[in-house]
This record gives sequence, C-alpha cells and structure tokens, in this order.
Amino acid sequence: MRDVWIAAAAMTRFGRRSETLEDLMADAALEALREADRPPDGLVVTAMDPEEFVGAGNFASHIGTYLGLSHVPGLRVETATSSGAAALYAGFALIASGFHNHVLVVGGEKMTHASTPRVSEIISRVIDPHERSYGATMPALAGMVARAALAKGLFTEMDMARVAVKNHAHGARNPYAHFQQPVTLEEVMSSRMIADPLRLMHCCPISDGAAAILLTSDPTGLKLAGMGQGSDYLAIRYRSSLTGFRATQDAAKAAFKMAGFGPERVQVAEIHDAFAPFEILALEDTGLFPPSKATRAMQNGELTLEGRLPVNPSGGLNARGHALAATGLAQVVELVWQLTGRAVGRQVKATVGLAHSIGGMATNNWVTLVEQVA
Amino acid sequence: METIAASRCPNCGWVVAPPVRICPRHPVEMVPVEISGYGSVLSYTTLTVAPEGFKPPLHIAVVELPGGARIFCHGKETRALRIGRRVAIEQVDGIFYFASLGIADRVSLFWKRRGAAPERTREAVKSSIKRFFDVYKRPSGETTPPAENGGRANEEEKNQDPAEKR
Repeated sequence: MRDVWIAAAAMTRFGRRSETLEDLMADAALEALREADRPPDGLVVTAMDPEEFVGAGNFASHIGTYLGLSHVPGLRVETATSSGAAALYAGFALIASGFHNHVLVVGGEKMTHASTPRVSEIISRVIDPHERSYGATMPALAGMVARAALAKGLFTEMDMARVAVKNHAHGARNPYAHFQQPVTLEEVMSSRMIADPLRLMHCCPISDGAAAILLTSDPTGLKLAGMGQGSDYLAIRYRSSLTGFRATQDAAKAAFKMAGFGPERVQVAEIHDAFAPFEILALEDTGLFPPSKATRAMQNGELTLEGRLPVNPSGGLNARGHALAATGLAQVVELVWQLTGRAVGRQVKATVGLAHSIGGMATNNWVTLVEQVA
Repeated sequence: METIAASRCPNCGWVVAPPVRICPRHPVEMVPVEISGYGSVLSYTTLTVAPEGFKPPLHIAVVELPGGARIFCHGKETRALRIGRRVAIEQVDGIFYFASLGIADRVSLFWKRRGAAPERTREAVKSSIKRFFDVYKRPSGETTPPAENGGRANEEEKNQDPAEKR
C-alpha cells in the first residue's frame, strides 16, 4: 500500500449562500487545483442528495464536466452525512492501491433555498423506516441519545450547553464559519426546545458550502496517516447501547491501527457535533479520552483553542455549520490549515490531527488522521 | 393483552419488531413470532418541531419488549415518563402507543396523525371500545420496573449477541 499525501485543501465559507451547488463546488475545487499544481488523474465527487436538493443526477460526470475535468475518470460516493469523509476514503484507496497518482476529492451541498420542513424531511430519509414512521427526525433520535446519556449521568444539560458555547466561541474566530457570533450559556439554555432535551443552539444549522482536497502519491510533508470506517445498524433500536456509537469506536480503532500510533499523539480534533452532546460521546468513542473523562476535561477548558486538546477549532458543525457532504472534507481542510499554520485567528500548535464524521444516526462513521511529517 | 408481531433469528435467537425478512446480524431468513405488548422505556423525547405529517408536541419513546425487541411508539406525554419505567403498548391500525390512556387522550392522539377525519374518529372509537374490554389484562406477578439507571447496564448486556462481545 502506498502512502497518501495531501497536496492542497480548500473550502468555501459555510452558511446561507446564493451561489449554485456547482459554483460552490467549483470555488473549492479550483482553489485546491491552483494550490496543488498537479493535474488530477482521478476525481471523487460527493453530495448527499443532489437529486432532491437541486435536481441534479449523474453527479460525478455533471461536476467533472462543470470543472473542466470531463476526461478525468470520476465517481460519486455517498454515506449520508459522512459522505465527505467517505469520498476522501475512496480517494485515499485509489492512490494507496496505485490506481491513480493525484485525485481531486470535492464535496458540497446546497440546501438553504428549500424550506426547513422540506430539508428535515429529505435528511430524515437516512433514518430506519419504522423509526421515521413515528416522526423520528435526526434531532428526535439525538434527543433520545442525549436523554439516555443524561439519565446515565454522563453529563448534564449545563455541559451540553458548554459545548455549544465553546464551539460558537471558536466559530467567532473563523471567517469560514456559518455562525461567527459567540453565545452565552444563558442564551443556549434558554433557546427554543427542539427535541427535549435538545435546544436550538445544541443543533447544527442547515448550511450551504463546499470543500475540496487534492490527494497525491508525492510526499508533501502532510500525510493522510490513517483512515477508518465503522458501521452499525440503520435502526438505533437494534443497538446494544444508545450512549456510545460502535461505528465511531470501530472507525477509530481502524484508523489508529493504520497510522501505527494511538490517540495520545492527537493534538487537535474536528468532531462531528451535529448535536452538542455528540462531541462528548465522540471524544470517548474515539479513545481521545477514557470513558467518562471527556465531560470533566471540557468543564476544565481543556478543549478550547488554548487548552490541552483543542476540539473543533473551526467551530464544529455547531458553529462552522453542516453542509452535509462538504462537512467531512471541511473538517480535514481545517486540520490541514491548523497543521500548516494557516488557521488565521484560531491557530493552535499541533502536528497530528483527528477528524471524526458521523453518517446518518451513526450508521456509517469515519475517523481520519492527518500528520505533519518533518 | 395486546400481542405484537415480531421476527426471530433461527441462528442467534435475536428478536426484532416490527418483523423483518432477514436478521440484521446474519444473512438468514427470520421466522415470525408474537410478543407481549408491554415493556420498559429505554429513552424518549418530545419534538416541539414535528416533521411533515405530524403535529407538535410529538411524544416518541423507544420501548424494550419481553425478549429484547425494541419498538418506537407514540404517547400522550413524556412528562411523567422515566427511563426504565414499565409501560403497556397498544396497537391501533399498526401504530404503537405507550401507557394507559383515557378516551380523551386517545382522541387527541389520533388527531395528531395525518389521515382523513372520519377515519381518525373511527380509530379513536375503535380504540376506546377495545380499551373497555381490554383494561389491564396484564399478567400478574410482574417484576417491578428497574430503577431509573440501575436497569440500564443489564438491559444492554441482555441484548448483546454473544458473537458481538468484544
């Protein structure tokens, strides 16, 4: 298996955008192509549901043609809300296997033009049909997970709010973030109830955006050190535990095994905090913290930009935003910027970063490790 | 006592509801079974923003039935609900509801689901009549519900396939 390196990383600002999906993806892709200065011989494209959101089909060819890469072999990858990470994995495999040498991975989503109920309905199709037939949406399932974790004493409602406050504070320093305003504990805890015990500010926004990464077999100093995938039942009611995600645990084990190092080397992490309490659960599922230690670390400020292990320096899904298929790639773009000293306004000191992405209600999760090699 | 259609894996014995063709743990065809309509609450939520086709506030719970199968169900409210609490499941036209409900509760519940008004009224009446003949025919000598958190570890353990233990 060949080593895989990152030659370039780019993204658009996340948020309510007036551009088309194609243009958002082109903005990210063209910037990555300029920075990499290597013509790609492979293309991996991702959008979670361009058929429903923008009415586009045959999406790899559509984007390939739009980007002027009509004769570069392309394919589309999709694993619900972790599609960006899945696309990166496909690009990784194409290079590691020797099939291609330089692969452009580009993902995007455009949703804000549709009404919120419509967007919720489209996203909720990632849920098991029996559970969905009871009105279960992503916030509903996340609310049940949070309720079970609260009852178990893993964290309190105040702790859930603290995650949102921290990530909004980080987002306020990120010009690419959907929300660039800090919020207070009181604001989070008095925000509108969405799915008891989850309130509006615990939930990620509906965002538009795109991100692109160019992978290469040429050593660039920035190594894609390990990637792992974990999967679980589509139905959350089949799972033995509601308060931890096996898909994350398996993905982390696979990624660390491939990288040949353990969680202790990770110095910055981008975590899939689509719902604030998921950050705490993921920090333990990935092994970054031992069981029931993440909450205390967060209370002690260890997860802030100045802390021992900065988590979600971009603002996370909670503040940077969640443009579905762009998110898994945007997390890695943030790691690249952090590891190469380009995270202006929110720079941390790190040489190893971890990105964690959740597909559906943790049915198809990914952990990615990026390492700056001297 | 209400019974609920489920399916059992001939390979590992796992029971899931509603029934599915193939065991989610093995590529093996499941066999149909019936299980009793009561169980303990694993978790619950109240949606104040309901998806298309539902009216908020929408109360949803996931309940573990005897034998380990879990189902989603609706209810009148979740205020008095606690994790581990024992609830009765009632099924009307394929929809599961938790807890014992009064006639007025029932009528308002059915109005929350999409459907033609006469149909919903008919279902509410049907449910009320059924309720009249069916009140608490639960088996006696049931164990008391587990404490709020105390039962969780056991429940998780019980539902774990031996092959899955790591």
